[in-house]
Amino acid sequence: MKSPVDPLKVAQFENMRATLTLQAAIKEANRCLLCYDAPCSADCPAGTDPGKFIRQLKFYNYKGAARTIRNNNILGNVCAHICPVEKLCEKACSIKALEDPINIGGLQGFAIEYASQAGIEAMDRSKKTSGKIAVVGGGPAGIGCASALAKLDYDVCIFERSQEAGGVPRWNIPEFRLPAEALAHDIENLLSQGVEFRYNTDVQSEEAVTKLLEDGYEAIFISTGLSRAFALDLLDGYTNSIDYITFLHKAKFDRESLDLKNKNVAVIGGGSVAIDSAVSAKACGAAKVYLISLEHLSELPADIEEIKLARLMNIIFKSGSQITGLTAENKRISRLQGIEIAWKEAGKFSPENARPIAGTEFSMLADLVIQAIGTRPGLEIKHFAKGLKTQGKGTITVNDRFETSIPGIFAGGDVVNGGATVVQAVGEGKNAAESIDNYLSMRRNK
Amino acid sequence: MKNKANLNIDFCGVHFENPFCLSSSPVGNHAEMCARAFEAGWGGIVYKTLNLEDSFKIVMPSPRLSAYHYHDKRFVGLQNAEQISDRPIKDNIRDIAWLKKNYPKKVLISSIMGFCENDWAVLAKMSEDAGADMLELNFSCPQMAHKNAGHKVGQDFHAVAAFTEVVKRASRLPVMAKMTPNITDIIPVALAAKDGGADAISAINTIRAITDIDISNYTPLPNIHGHSSPTGFSGPAVKPVAMRFVSELYNSKSLSLPISAIGGIETWIDALHFLLLGATNLQVTTGILRYGYRIVEDMIEGLSDFMIDRNISSLNEIIGLAAQKIVDPSDFESRYQVVSQIDQSKCIGCGQCYISCHDGANQAIVLDPESRKASVDEERCVGCLLCKHVCPVWDCISFKEVDTAKVKHAAIF
Repeated sequence: MKSPVDPLKVAQFENMRATLTLQAAIKEANRCLLCYDAPCSADCPAGTDPGKFIRQLKFYNYKGAARTIRNNNILGNVCAHICPVEKLCEKACSIKALEDPINIGGLQGFAIEYASQAGIEAMDRSKKTSGKIAVVGGGPAGIGCASALAKLDYDVCIFERSQEAGGVPRWNIPEFRLPAEALAHDIENLLSQGVEFRYNTDVQSEEAVTKLLEDGYEAIFISTGLSRAFALDLLDGYTNSIDYITFLHKAKFDRESLDLKNKNVAVIGGGSVAIDSAVSAKACGAAKVYLISLEHLSELPADIEEIKLARLMNIIFKSGSQITGLTAENKRISRLQGIEIAWKEAGKFSPENARPIAGTEFSMLADLVIQAIGTRPGLEIKHFAKGLKTQGKGTITVNDRFETSIPGIFAGGDVVNGGATVVQAVGEGKNAAESIDNYLSMRRNK
Repeated sequence: MKNKANLNIDFCGVHFENPFCLSSSPVGNHAEMCARAFEAGWGGIVYKTLNLEDSFKIVMPSPRLSAYHYHDKRFVGLQNAEQISDRPIKDNIRDIAWLKKNYPKKVLISSIMGFCENDWAVLAKMSEDAGADMLELNFSCPQMAHKNAGHKVGQDFHAVAAFTEVVKRASRLPVMAKMTPNITDIIPVALAAKDGGADAISAINTIRAITDIDISNYTPLPNIHGHSSPTGFSGPAVKPVAMRFVSELYNSKSLSLPISAIGGIETWIDALHFLLLGATNLQVTTGILRYGYRIVEDMIEGLSDFMIDRNISSLNEIIGLAAQKIVDPSDFESRYQVVSQIDQSKCIGCGQCYISCHDGANQAIVLDPESRKASVDEERCVGCLLCKHVCPVWDCISFKEVDTAKVKHAAIF
């Protein structure tokens, strides 16, 4: 079970969960039953292996625990802060039959912090070279893939469009959930593996890809994530209506420009990013923050811990509601109108399936409207290479080996799965690295 | 209204309202502390061992304690380098007299240690004159900063007999001799004390031990200015050893003296264990160091409720009942065989029984990877019950008797 949240820290955009002390970590590690089949380990998409690192902590092998974490999950520090553990490792924790599950995220964070107090040791890297691989996009999937490839002795270069590594954790996850040092620590580990970064480099064009192949890169892994937010037609064209990607970036790096002190904010959406947006708006000083979602409270896609955080921060839930209209002047929204809904058919959470409930109309003052109703890959993905197959909302089509329709080009993470957790992206990157290695080995042996 | 059982005991002709006493240690350091212990409900006190400062000047080492912790479980045992009382003898005698005057119904046992025959005689006489009800002879302190005292006396049968005799001649009080466990066989020493005239035996004093080492400077703890020593270890960790010694004293037909038990008593269940192994009187220090005098309330109430529930009217009815069941391993019933049984509805699937049986016993646990439930392969189970002891669900694993004809005794490989 996660450590408690300090709301004062949230309001200051500081790490909201204190790192476990040595004493607390020893006590927690000693609650662990050290299961034979470690269901926690089986349920980690990145294979971080909590069953092993908790055993190492219990037997005072702190540095060994930290090595296990980073060797299995290069974003181990990031994941320690943001993983939805109650849906993953802690879900099947055996001790839940007797008491609270083990605070696995807390122990993971402790191991990394404790071991790094003696300085971060470089990760093993052999001198031989298996080949050159290009990774396009320096987010969790790209980082996961690069780290796994480096372990297989590949020379990996990550081409990153922005000026820094990290993707979503770097740009869009608020600092109260993920302190900057955690990502920086993980990146330091990655760099110690000899992985190279080319920043401010966009290779999302056919010419750029051709150039990569000419430069000797034997395979390419695409992990460019999602960049185009969905928007409601109703809210289109107003100066004070923005998407969550823009908002979270501003809330992290340009807070003053938002000028939210004592303002009212409406967030549309019920997922993790909607909650991050709502809580960030509150932390920016907003008076009232509404979270409006079609899904009812029990149906919200956000994790229970996130919902608890939003409640702690006094976010006003308008769950099971939809926006029906607005009041605006000079392209500026001043008021939203909505109504509560019921589902025509159970289990289908779409606007078409919603039936307004007469007599439940409501309205609210809104100085800023944030839309957090989903994202899709950028349009440029279509120009990545001739014949690259995409599907649905523009995600790249891959087979179970993360191979795209073009031989030698692999893809993983959000740009493939349409948006999932960081730990899922790291896992896909790792698995793709294995496929890339198999692919190249087979090609060489032909 | 709550019924109260009769917890009275008679021990060496001295009447105790309950068998719970402080053992000779800092918990009975002076009158004010002892008075508070009496007020809390303790039936008696073994006052901290008296010393004649003209014979030997006591200097307490510092620091003088080190604890034994098992992972997150603190204070499983305690090591001390405490000496006998460093207070002037006249102050201690004055305190004993004051306590007897103010708490006449409570029992005060004076613990004494001499460094020559005359010391023993003088301390016995002074205690008797101050009003003490009994004497305890400290033959067993394992860390005396004196070459000819403490457990070195307790390992010397002749000295034990001689000093006991001196004390018996010097005073009319009942005398119990406190035994050291730092010896292979406790019976010959106890018999020596009996030969000297001892009326009872108290056991055990602390066990010489090293509890911890500071790995930053390779120094055992307590680190007394760069040095340490194996000194007296006590608390819950020593209780199993103390129970063994107490049962041996009780079962010795040639000894046949009443026993005051010491060693890791904290709860009424601990107390009951020692009574069942043959103790009449019980002494506590480490439990008080850890939790205070108040723990006696739960010992009294718990033991009283147990007696009422079991219809026991006097503690004498249960003393030694478990000791009577102790035999030599060569006398075990070899035709009796059990196998483990796992309650499937309680199994939480952790597999600890599987790991332990697989790596430490006879590979008799089957773990179903789908249901995550453990079960016993009765063909392979040798009934050691390792699985039962490692299971985190206390009532999940039990055992049943099986037909010995069907059981393979040797491990199967």
